[in-house]
Amino acid sequence: MAFLATFLIRRLAQGVLIVLIVSFAIFTALRLVPGDPARLILGPMASDAVVEQTAREMGLRDPIPVQYVHWLGQVLQGNLGTSFIKAKSGGEAAGGRDTSALGDKATVVALLEQSLPMTLQLAALALVFAFLISVPIGIVAGMNSGGWFDRFAVYLGSAFVSIPNFWLAIVLALVVTAELQWIPSIGYQGFSYTILPAFVIAIEMSPIFMRSLTSSIASAKQRNFVALADVRGLSKRRIFLRHILRNAAVPVLNIFGVQIGAMLGGVLIVEYIFNYPGIGLLTVQAVLERDFPVIQGVALISACIFVVINILVDLISTKIDPRLDF
Amino acid sequence: MPSDTVATAVAPRVRVRMETPGRRIWRATHRQFEFKLGLFLLVVLVGAALIYPHFTKLSPTRMHIMQRFWPPAFLPGGHWTHLLGTDQLGRDLFLRSLIGLQNALMISVSAVIIMFVVGAIVGLLAGFYGGIIDTVLMRITDAQLAVPVIILAITILTVHRPSPESVTLVLALSGWPGYARVVRSVTLAERQREYVRGAKILGASPIRIMLQMIAPNVLPPIAFVAVLDIARMMIFEAILGFIGIGVQPPTPTFGNIIADGRQYLINAWWISTMPGAFLFLTLLGINLVGSSIERARNQVLEGRI
Repeated sequence: MAFLATFLIRRLAQGVLIVLIVSFAIFTALRLVPGDPARLILGPMASDAVVEQTAREMGLRDPIPVQYVHWLGQVLQGNLGTSFIKAKSGGEAAGGRDTSALGDKATVVALLEQSLPMTLQLAALALVFAFLISVPIGIVAGMNSGGWFDRFAVYLGSAFVSIPNFWLAIVLALVVTAELQWIPSIGYQGFSYTILPAFVIAIEMSPIFMRSLTSSIASAKQRNFVALADVRGLSKRRIFLRHILRNAAVPVLNIFGVQIGAMLGGVLIVEYIFNYPGIGLLTVQAVLERDFPVIQGVALISACIFVVINILVDLISTKIDPRLDF
Repeated sequence: MPSDTVATAVAPRVRVRMETPGRRIWRATHRQFEFKLGLFLLVVLVGAALIYPHFTKLSPTRMHIMQRFWPPAFLPGGHWTHLLGTDQLGRDLFLRSLIGLQNALMISVSAVIIMFVVGAIVGLLAGFYGGIIDTVLMRITDAQLAVPVIILAITILTVHRPSPESVTLVLALSGWPGYARVVRSVTLAERQREYVRGAKILGASPIRIMLQMIAPNVLPPIAFVAVLDIARMMIFEAILGFIGIGVQPPTPTFGNIIADGRQYLINAWWISTMPGAFLFLTLLGINLVGSSIERARNQVLEGRI
């Protein structure tokens, strides 16, 4: 247990450092974007003096490190700030731009609370699809390494990585939703709206899992203890589950940890195309509208998710393979 | 290939003539059918992108009001002058896709070269020196990996007007941490090898050891696999163009062609789908070539060939 505690403390400390670097970098980059947020909030009709005053009240004229420390202090109290643009009701605060009060705008925490579960639902379903596609193919290809199915899997994988995700999303929306009217997409009015976006993300992710599963099963199969297990008279099923699959699981898990960041990119573009109300859509809108607090919140959350998942991956890896030591 | 692997693995170093790993990887690569198929696709498509625009009278940007929404040539109502049909402004989609391919290739190949060089430098320094340099460089690398690149990309490209150069740099930014990690881990292993310790004792400078001894040994196998990243970067470039922060119109890119065609999807589906299919075939060519190189490299590195 002592080992576990030191491991956790070390990794968490590293994680906090990473999150700090990321948030500071994003914070600074956003402050360099042309266009004054105060002007954006108040609209083109407000006088320069009012804009200047609001900017000072919001702390937008302080040096960047000061603003960052201030923001960080608020974050530690669970306050990620208030959106510049989004109204509490959910829609854009179109008519409310002339009021200097920020009271009618949604808090970033509320926006994240609305959209994060949606994105998690999408990501979870996408993972299920990705595993449904890649695990059977990866296992069969790995067990028959060099055979015709292995070759087929290589071509299939190459074809899948070559499909541009946004193009697939458009084609599926056109064919499956608009023409055939099988599965609804575009927007969100129920669980079925998750299926097509999740499928697109799954197609993007599965080749990586497929390839790593195939190669790690193929190499686990050639290890001495597998040949020996056969001599020991263990059942094929037991050899496969305990000796081959278990050894092949660790590299796949690690790939998964590394892929989280890339997956977020996929989620973002797919949500944007399907108009799916998750973190991705929130981010794209926030960036296009220069809604700094929201972008910062999203960057912070996604960096945290990345760090936590990678710690979990390493923990599970040591469970599966006790020889691994961190 | 797999049935005789056991036999060859037992006696790995019987070859008398020394052959560089690069040549062995090359020989193992071009035996694969996958590689030939991918190369064929690439030669045809890239060849067309380099040659066709110089020989056609069509223009990728000039509008022809009378020729709007022509379907592809293989459909009823199509004309052979417009192989993939025309778009909402009467421009030839085949030619626009080819120009888009030229731009995408130039941007993604330069991005991969930049990210490889940066990643290699960071990885070599971190792996060779270790200690505080290693810690600092690797934490920066981790931080870069933890930011969803697309958020960073959108942020940067709204600051700077998207140009081929800024898009290239943004793409390079997304990829260097991967190379830094791999190069660092192989450098760590290489540092312990006898020739490096020997060179240190003989008084070779660190720069000399890194560039003249370690780099030639560790970088080529990694560089081969960079081919796969060209395809990834082409998709990324297309995504940026699609959101509207890639290279700006009127320069055709896969992203902006597909985005423009989206509003005519129901009546003129080919505007978005045909350039996308074109992009898919190009990516398939790159990925087939890249994965056969990767496979050959793994066989060589594991001593199976």
